[in-house]
Formats: sequence, structure tokens, C-alpha cells
Amino acid sequence: MSIEVKDIHFSYGKIKALDGVSLDLSQGAIGLLGPNGAGKSTLIRIMLGFLSPDGGEGRILDYDIKSQQAEIRRYVGYMPEDDCFIPELDAVSFTSYLGELSGMPRQEAMKRAHEVLYYVGLEESRYRKVETYSAGMKLRLKLAQSLVHDPKLIFLDEPTSGLDPQGRTEILELIIDISSKKDIQVLISSHILPDIEMTCSYVVILNKGIVASEGEISKLKEIRDLYEIKVMGEAQVFLRKLKDLKCRVEETEDGILKVYTPPNYNRQEFFRIAAEEKIQLRHFVRSQSSLEDLFAEAVGVD
Amino acid sequence: MTIKEKGYTHWDGEFLDKKLPWWPITRYGIKLTFRKKFFKLIFPMSLLPAVVFLAGIYVSERLEDFKFMFRESVPFLQINPAYFKTYLVDNFMLNIMIIIVIFCGAGLISDDLKHNSLQLYFARPLKKRDYFFGKTAVIVFFLFILTLVPGLVFIIMKLVFAGSFKFFLSYPWLPLAVIGYSIFVTAFFSFYVLFLSSLSKNRRYVVILIFGIYLFSDIFWAVFYEYFHNHYFSLISLRANIQQVGAFIFSQKTPYPIPWFYSLLVLTAICVLAGLVLKKKVRGVEIVK
Repeated sequence: MSIEVKDIHFSYGKIKALDGVSLDLSQGAIGLLGPNGAGKSTLIRIMLGFLSPDGGEGRILDYDIKSQQAEIRRYVGYMPEDDCFIPELDAVSFTSYLGELSGMPRQEAMKRAHEVLYYVGLEESRYRKVETYSAGMKLRLKLAQSLVHDPKLIFLDEPTSGLDPQGRTEILELIIDISSKKDIQVLISSHILPDIEMTCSYVVILNKGIVASEGEISKLKEIRDLYEIKVMGEAQVFLRKLKDLKCRVEETEDGILKVYTPPNYNRQEFFRIAAEEKIQLRHFVRSQSSLEDLFAEAVGVD
Repeated sequence: MTIKEKGYTHWDGEFLDKKLPWWPITRYGIKLTFRKKFFKLIFPMSLLPAVVFLAGIYVSERLEDFKFMFRESVPFLQINPAYFKTYLVDNFMLNIMIIIVIFCGAGLISDDLKHNSLQLYFARPLKKRDYFFGKTAVIVFFLFILTLVPGLVFIIMKLVFAGSFKFFLSYPWLPLAVIGYSIFVTAFFSFYVLFLSSLSKNRRYVVILIFGIYLFSDIFWAVFYEYFHNHYFSLISLRANIQQVGAFIFSQKTPYPIPWFYSLLVLTAICVLAGLVLKKKVRGVEIVK
């Protein structure tokens, strides 16, 4: 397993950021989702050794997060969320400098810096000073520095924040390319659910410092049955009876009811209740829940 | 050209097990300092006193040739520990050191704080002490060029010009004094500058702090002395404290009639405080509790 954490606890003073997080993640691109303050960045920082957990244990690429932080950082790339760079350096010097700090020989770090800058699409401007870069270019540069030492695992913290749609698409394509074809495992922490849906096959949803949900996105979607229903007649009692049967109901603007049913729910119940309440079902379609639905359900918001 | 056409190849090299993982930080720090326009002008000028003092050593061995320039009664150019102390400890050299550390040290940490780059450093296999060593070594490099290197060169050139070891035999401890003082003053300025550099994200404020604290500690000492006529107030002056300890190291009379180790204690306390603040301020992630 490349990421294995067990019962991780961490508090900022009296505020609990992580409360017994356990994960066992291996191949592919993994999405780390959660609302603000869910503990995503804290978890990444603990896995990188920036923060020492109050309790629990973990191994990243089989290195202990408490005692082998240097080894972890040697084989893990990190792309921080914040705008960060070293001023007065051009992109090549910046990237090779960070390669050297990872332990690469000087000349190889320089050679490799050119390669990764080329890969992320900064070849034309690699001799420009970093502070003159646009937001999108800085983001690509952050990605380049996280790749320069050829990591086995990369942590990407909000990799598309502040990008225009074109830039976002390019970065996401790059992430898909890295995770699917380059044998590099990627952990993406993001608020942008479509980004996670596009790039990741596995998702971990954190909420209030605990793992609210995790699994293959496709399987998680299958678990939750969603029906789209349009009714004619008095819907209030119908809806109340559905809720009594542990169904979650959302009403869209165009009058369609999205009904999330509990596991092993018998859909004949819809027709039975409709018959009892003498209302007509004008539209009845089994739909697939989106990542947004999963997220909303996991963190408990409508 | 789109991204996917470019490809990505794995690096097949091996990581070095570096004994000095902080060295790239130092190398880049020195390189970036030399890129500063004014520094290119000021740094060679800061070496002029060393050239003048070296010339003085040469002249001291050729007194007969230069005798016509001076009245006979004037005691002329005695090369002894006081001569070294004059070069290394007097006001002009301390002022030059302050100017040089402003250029090479003010932005060392404050720029990293301003641009959030600490997390980039600490996402690498670097320990906090490697980061500090790397940054400190930039200051050490420049201050040693001003203190240790000229000091040792003076001794060597004195022996070369004299053509005998008489000077060395008269003051066998002098090389150690030069080394000891250089380490002492460099260590103090390193802590002082890095500490102030970690207090602000704005390099200009750090420059003001470095220069201001040094200057105003001296002004306050002068003001208090005028008012109270007590030499113990010299302990608030950074310059006076350095000169007290420097005078002791070179076996000279201390400039103020108070024990030299009081000054050493004050400077040590500043370094300890600086170390504690640095430890707290410099970390891979900013924690707001």
C-alpha cells in the first residue's frame, strides 16, 4: 500500500482537525474531498511530516510518517495550494534548485528541470523570472517542481484553483496523463468535484476530521439508488411517506423529485404509496447519482 | 503543442546521500546576493580596508624606505594584536559588516515567508537545521571574507614580509584569536540577522530593523551614559558589547570599565532568544492556533 494511515488524530489547540482517520490507499488517482476545515490539508501535511500527529500511525510508500519523513519527502512530490516560489530565480533554476534539495546531483537536476518544464508546457518561458509568471504559469511551475525528482507519489493540493477553463482543462489532462500513463500515484485534494470526477477513480470524503465516505467512485455511485420522479396531485403526503421509509428527497426547480433510496429498497413502494395517496406518477426514471450527490450525502448537506 | 505530445520520462539516476544537504541553499543564496546591483559595487569596496591594512603590514617591514614620510618621533605601524583588533573590532569594520549583512541576509528568511516557499523547502528531505545551516552559511561566507580571511592573510603576509617566525613566536595565540573573534562576530550577526529576517515578510522592514536596532542601541547607550554616567549602560549597545568581547579576545584593554563577560552574556542571550524565535517561526506550515 502506498498510503496507509491508521487512527490519525490531530488538533490545532482545542480544535480537532483529524479525529481517527484511517486510510489504506494504493494505485491510481485518489481524490480527497471535503468542505473547508474538513482536515484535507492537515492530513496531507501529516503525511508529509510537516505536522506530527497527536495519535495514530501511518506509512507512506512503506516509510513511517513519524520516523522516516526524509525518505517520504524524497519519493513524494508536493504541490502546495498557496502561491509559492523563490523570487529572483528563473523557472529552470527554481526547478533544478528544488531537485538538488531533493538529493539529485546538480547537473542531473538541471537536465531534469528542462524536461519537466517542457512537459508541463513552460518550455518557452523557462528562462523568465518566476515572479513575472501569470497565475496559470505559476501553477504549472508548482507542478513541475513536484515532478522534478521523479516521485512515486504526488500530493496535489487544489491543483486547479484560480485557473481559467482552458488552463484548468490542460492541468487536468496533465494530471490524468501522470496518473494513468506515468506510473505515478496521485492524491488530489480539491473542492472542485468535477475535477475529482474527471481525474480520479477513487475518492475519500473527509468531514469534520473523520472519513465520511470512501471507495471507487463508480461503486459508490452504484450503492446509492437515485430515482427521478414527477408526480401529479397532492405530493406532500407522498413525500412524507417516502421520508418515513428513509428516502432522501430533493426537489428541482422544474418540479422533478430526486429520491435517494436506502440500500435494498424495493422500488415497488413508490407505486404502492402513489396508489394509496391517489396521485399519478408522470415520470419515473432510475438515475445515477453524481459525485456531488455523494459528497452532499457524506457531509450531510442538501 | 499540447501537453500529451511531449511525454514524460522517468529519471533513472540515483539520489545522492548528501553530507551537506544545505549546500544548495548556501550556493543559491550567495549567487542571488551577487546578482544585486549595489552589492556588486559595495562588496569590493568593503575589502578596501583589508587592502589598506595589508599595505600597512608591508610598510611596517619596509620602514626605512618610508621613513622620509613621517617625523621620527611618531611611533609608526607596530604590527601587534592591537593592529588586528583595530581592523577587526573597530567601528568602521562593524559598520561594513552591518551593510554587508543587510545585503546578503535581510531577505534570507523574509523572502521565503513572503513567497510561501518554506513549504517547498520542507517538502524536500531537509531538516530544519539544514535550512538554518544553509541560510546561515550565506552570512558566514561574506563575513568570513571580511574577517577571518583578511585576519589570517595578515598573519601570513607579516611572516612572509618579515621572512622570519619572530612575529608568530611573539604572539602564538593570535591566529586563534582571529579565528575565535571571526566565529564569534559572525555567529552573532548570523543569529541577529536571521532572527530579524524571520520577523517580517517585507525585506525593507528587515533592513530597517537590522540597521535601526544596531544604531539605536548605540544611541540609547550614549544618551543614558550622558544622563547617568554609568558604564553599565554600554550593555544595551550591540556595538559596545561586540567591542568589549573583541578587545578581550585580542588581549587588549576593554573600551569600557565593566567585565567583558557581561557583554558576552548579553550577546549570548540575544542569540538564544533569536534561536528560539527562529525555531518557532520557521516551519513547513503556518499554524494558527
